[in-house]
Parts: sequence; C-alpha cells; structure tokens
Amino acid sequence: MITVTPTGSAATRDLSALTDAETALEIKNLDLYYGSKQALYDVSMKIPKNQVTAFIGPSGCGKSTLLRCLNRMNDLVDICRIEGQILLHGQNIYDRKVDVASLRRGIGMVFQRPNPFPKSIYENVVYGLRLQGIKDRRLLDEAVERSLRGAALWDEVKDRLNDNAFGLSGGQQQRLVIARAIAIEPEVLLLDEPTSALDPISTLTIEELINDLKKQFTVVIVTHNMQQAARVSDQTAFMYMGEMIEYSDTNTLFTTPEKKKTEDYITGRYG
Amino acid sequence: MKTWFKSGSPWIWMTAGTVSISLVAVLGLLLLIAWRGLIYFWPATIYEFDVRDQFGNINTVVGEIHDREQVSVVQLRESGREIEGEPTDMVTRYLVKTGNREFVELDFRWILETDIIERRTPENLAKVERQKNGNFYGEVVEVLDSGQPIAGDLMEVLFERIDRVADLNSQMAAIQHSDIGSINYKLEKIRLRERGDEIRDRLTQERIDGYNAEREALRNEYLGYEKKLFALRDETTRDAVVVKDMRGELVTISMKYVLDVTFPNRMGVFSKAAHWFVEVGKFISNEPREANTEGGVFPAIFGTVFMVMLMAVVVTPFGVVAAIYLHEYAGKNALTKIIRTAVINLAGVPSIVYGVFGLGFFVYVMGGSIDQLFYPEALPSPTFGTPGMMWSALTLAILTLPVVIVSTEEGLSRIPSTVRQGSLALGATKAETLWRIVLPMASPAIMTGLILAVARAAGEVAPLMLVGVVKMAPTLPVDGNFPFIHLDRKFMHLGFHIYDVGFQSPNVEAARPLVYATSFLLVTVIVGLNITAIGIRNHLREKFRSLEH
Repeated sequence: MITVTPTGSAATRDLSALTDAETALEIKNLDLYYGSKQALYDVSMKIPKNQVTAFIGPSGCGKSTLLRCLNRMNDLVDICRIEGQILLHGQNIYDRKVDVASLRRGIGMVFQRPNPFPKSIYENVVYGLRLQGIKDRRLLDEAVERSLRGAALWDEVKDRLNDNAFGLSGGQQQRLVIARAIAIEPEVLLLDEPTSALDPISTLTIEELINDLKKQFTVVIVTHNMQQAARVSDQTAFMYMGEMIEYSDTNTLFTTPEKKKTEDYITGRYG
Repeated sequence: MKTWFKSGSPWIWMTAGTVSISLVAVLGLLLLIAWRGLIYFWPATIYEFDVRDQFGNINTVVGEIHDREQVSVVQLRESGREIEGEPTDMVTRYLVKTGNREFVELDFRWILETDIIERRTPENLAKVERQKNGNFYGEVVEVLDSGQPIAGDLMEVLFERIDRVADLNSQMAAIQHSDIGSINYKLEKIRLRERGDEIRDRLTQERIDGYNAEREALRNEYLGYEKKLFALRDETTRDAVVVKDMRGELVTISMKYVLDVTFPNRMGVFSKAAHWFVEVGKFISNEPREANTEGGVFPAIFGTVFMVMLMAVVVTPFGVVAAIYLHEYAGKNALTKIIRTAVINLAGVPSIVYGVFGLGFFVYVMGGSIDQLFYPEALPSPTFGTPGMMWSALTLAILTLPVVIVSTEEGLSRIPSTVRQGSLALGATKAETLWRIVLPMASPAIMTGLILAVARAAGEVAPLMLVGVVKMAPTLPVDGNFPFIHLDRKFMHLGFHIYDVGFQSPNVEAARPLVYATSFLLVTVIVGLNITAIGIRNHLREKFRSLEH
C-alpha cells in the first residue's frame, strides 16, 4: 500500500456536484477516435479550479490523449476525431467559433521532455508575449522576472538571461518551459508527465513548484508515477483502456478505491 | 587465412582502400591542375641554343623550354630524320617557345636534344611582353626617345619608360571605358527616347531639337575626350625599345605595345617568387587579350561569381517556399508524393536540356514579351529577348531548385515535433511557429541546399552557352552607368573560358597553361563560395544545435 500525505483538501466530496464557479473545465461525454480505432470512451468529469488534478493509469490508457484534448493539441493529428464537449466558462472549446490560438493562450501546456526554443532564456520566456504583440521592454522584463520566480528558476539564471537556453540542465529547462507557459498567465496549466525525463532532485523541485502553482492556476497533470500523483494532486482520475474508471479525491482514491481495477492498479497488480 | 577472412579485416581493408583511392583521385586532380596552372606564372629561364639543322648549318634559337618529351629513334626515322642509334633508343625533344611571332612562322618549335650543339643562358636576354603578337625574346640594346637613343643606365631608363607608358595606357583605358563609354551609353539612351517618342506619336519638333541639343553637348564632350585620348596616344608612341633578336637583327618595338620586360636569367629565387605573385595578380585582375590567349580572366571571374550569387538570391526563397508548402501544408496524399518524386527527378535532367528550356522560354517568350512591353523603342534589336545575365541566373536557378527543395524539406522534417508543439501550445498559429521557430531551426539545412546548389551552378557550362555566356564581353554586367546593374548584358564565365581557350584558341600551345590556370581558378572560386556558405551554416548550426536531442 502507498502511504498518502494529506494534501489539505477537504474530506471526501462529490466531484460531479461542483458548481460552475468552482469548475475550471468540464468534460462531457467525450469520445475520441484515431481513424477507426476508439481511444477514449464516454469520458465525463469536472476539473475544479485552483487545484491539482492528476490523471493516472497504465501506458496507452489514454490519459495523455485526454489531456491533449483540453487545449486541442489533438487537432494536429490528422486522423483524430472527437465527439462530445469540453466546456470552458460554459462554452464548448470544440465549437467552430473558437479561435484555437487564443484558447491555447488560456490553457498552457508543458510537455514530457523539456522543449525550450533555440533562443536565449529571456527570449524563451517572452515568446508568448511577443506573439501577442507586446514590445514594451519594461513589461517584458517584469514578466520575465515574475515568471522565472514563479517557476523557481530566477535565482539560478538571473545573471545569464541572454545565454542560450540549451545551456541549462534538464530540470532547469523544464522549469524554464513552465516559466514560459505561465508568462502568458493562462487559467489552466496542463502538465504532461513533466518529470519523466528528469532526475529525482529536479523532480522534487518541480513537485514543490506544482504545489505553489495551484495558488494561481488550475493544474492538470498526467503522471506515470503514482507516488507523484499522491504527493502533488488534490484529486485523481484513474483511466484504463480509454475509460475513466474512477475519479475522486486523491486520498480516497488511494486509500479506499471503489473499483476493483483501481485497487489492482494502485496495489501494483498491473501497469 | 580463413580466420583472417572471418575476422572481418579484409572488409575493413577494402572499405579503407576505396576511400584512399577516392582521396588520391581528388588530391591528384587538384595537384595536377594547380601545378600545371601555377608554374605558368613562374618566370622561365630563357635559353640560347646553337642548333644544327638538316643541312648542317648552325642556327641560334632563343626561347623558353615549354615542354619536353621522349621520342623513339624509329619514329624520327620514319618522319625522315637521319639519326644515329639503336631502334630502341629514345631521344629527348624540346618544345621551345621562341615568340617573335611577326618574324618567324611559328612561335613554337621542336628541337631534338641531339641537334643541340650548345645551350647558354646569357643574363641579358629579356622577355618583352607585348599587347600584340605575344612575347618577344632577345637582348635589349637601347631605348629610343623620339628616335634618338637615350644615354644613361639602360635598365633604369628602360623601366622608367615602361612605367611611363603603363601610366599613360591606364589613363587611356580610363577615358575609353568610363568617360567615352558613358557618353556612348547616354547617346544610345537619347536615341531610344527619341525612337520611343516616335512610336508613341509624340515626337514634336521641340523634342527633336531638345534631343539634338543634348546630342550636340555630348558630342562636344566626346570630342574633348577624343582629343585627350589622341594626345595620350601620341605620347605613348614617343618611346621605343631596340631589341636584338635570335637572327641577330635589331628590331625596334614601340613602347606603346610593351607591357613589361623581364630578365629571368638574372633573377634569383626570391625575385622570381615576387614576380610570380605579380603575374598571378595580373592574371586575376586583368582583362584577356589576343583572343583570350593572353592577359587575365577578371571578367570571367566576375561573371561567374555574380551569376552564381544572383542565382542563389533567386533560388533560395523560391525553393524554401516550395519546400514549406510541400512539407507543411500539402496533404499527405499520392499527389504530393508524385510532385515530390517529380521534383527530385528534375535534378537528374541533363543540364543542356535546361539550357534549351531557358532559351525557348526565358529568352524568346519572356524576354520577347518584356521587350515588346517595356523596350519597344529598341526593337528590332532585342534588350531582354536575347541571352543575358538574368536568363542565365534564372536557368541555373531552375536547374538547382530541386536540390534546395529536397534539403530544405529534409531540414523541416528533422525539427522535433515537441518544439513545434511547444510554440503552438503558447498560442502561436502555424504560420507564426513557422516563422519564429521552424525556419530559423531549418536554416542550416537550407544553407546545405544552397551550398549544393552553388557547387552545381558554378560548374555548369553547357546551359549557359545557350542563355548568356560569350567568349568576350565588352562590358561587365555592373558599371557606373545608371541603373548600374545591367542584367540584360552577356557575360564571361570561367567554365566557358576554359572551353574557349582549350578548344577554340588559334594558338593551342600558348593557351594550354591558361587552361590549367583557369581550371584551378574555377575550382578555387567554387571552393571559396562553398567555404563561405559552410562557414555560415556552421555558425547557424551552433546557434540552433537543439537538433542533437
């Protein structure tokens, strides 16, 4: 069994009963197909605001796919087809009228491997702001300091902001990428296995960072690592074979899972 | 043996062997061209031979040894020479460059080793380089000023007078090329304007008078220059140098034609080396003389480099944009595949075919239309409807387009999708991602394409013969007359120059070293262009080295 550190959230709640004001994103009956193969089956869930929600499950269960639905990164896959709704402020993000670029400004994303741009640290952080046409040097400088502090990287790089971002270590690069994402102040931050390519110490730094981030942002994290989910998240969704098996408070899910499959997974019987 | 075979060593030996053979081939080629081309500029010793002819008379022959070869006695007897020795004996035969073209039938002759009675290298033998009739070999006797011998140190006087004439000649060239050239250009422009008015039916008497007045002014200006020019020309004919040639006769050569006088038999290694550098410099910076067999190749270097750069300017954006469409926007279906295959196969089309296309489409169709639309006043003589710099650059751009497209596509496909997604996830559109992230990261690959394109284009000759290269272009495509860059002009090209000098020359022996020298120069130019491009590419690679992930 896994020991769970309490995350401070209230006792068991019914997550499907969240009010609109408490909900950041609502997924309704989402089906996803890659060509003729279905990858997600009728997923419905509410992701609460300013909390950390984790998706766990064995490889290929669809957790990353689900995460990528939230900012429409799946649009890049030609053969991908989606049915159902994802509501942000009550509006379906798959609506025709939605501008994908501005949607992604509101829902930032950090990937599995650090992917800094081949530019200086400074230019990496202000990339999103420059896209929005901000040229004022003072605004940019402020955003750089704020974002790098937010990503717990400021003290390490403040003297070499004009160095190439590739000179940073893997963990620093990943925090730079987080800084880059929070520089444009999104509402939701999606983290797709953000520590899977990092060493344990960098992982720890990032996990601490995630705890700080939820004060400002709604965080959704996909992770392979159940201990990590237990450490950082407020609620956890367990997925298996494209289905959402169980979704509840992290405490509840890890201590008293309702479903047999969940229990088998968290006790290490497969996965 | 069997174990040796099994160990894999033969395989390593074989592969290493192929590499060595390639290496030897490349180095051998370069060394041969470089050696043959560069010794041409090394001041050769001038020999004075006493040679016995068929009838037993003894003649003096003065000249440089240009080449030597071994001939069998049998071969000589068959050609009617009486010669002693066993049939298996070999005799050395020298090819001597005797110059003095106006007095002897051929300025090269073969001399048999066995015919030479004595060989001397007198210090006062001189090589006189002339503007006409090639070199003159002999002994400088005196320098004349208006027909009167000048007293004083012969060498001092000689070089002083040579410098004087060189100075006058360069003044004359300046007047002819810039001043008179510009007047001719302006006169032609006035004629075209007048003709244009005539075509458009607005040629009033007033305008005719205006044109005539302009013409009159230019003509007066011209007369001024002409007077100056004639004065200078008279100045140059004042001095002359008297040389005793190998027949023992005194020949007076007007200083006007004398470019330089050297005494190679007096030079040490260091002064020869210094002279070598001067000669190489002249070869690179001067214009050709005497049907390209003498002088330098500057217009050809300029034409080659300018044309290649123009081609690069055209082909790079075009190829990159085409590759972006094929890789980023076109649907991944059969049609795209067919187009891509077709583009790759275009690279295999023989270059002369591109030349024919360039002539048929660019020169006749496009050039013809441009002439009718924009230059009707010049017709029937064509402006762009004739082979020229622009059409050559465009033809080569089409020829090298596949190379740029293929390597750009390769570069685009090597950019990690995570980086693209990182940009998209920050709210960038696809176009923004392309401009800000993808293209900068693909720039080393684009440069690779450009390097390959330049390497191919600089070496092409066949298509250019159809679309713009000539043996001798009177003017460079860039000069001081508005609009300064004249893309309609024909130009000279190093590759064609090699062909011309090697095959079309009236004086094959004299031209042969030039073939090597020009080839070496062409290789140097291409290598220079490539090294520049490779330098830029490596700089870009260093900047965007994320691809190593």
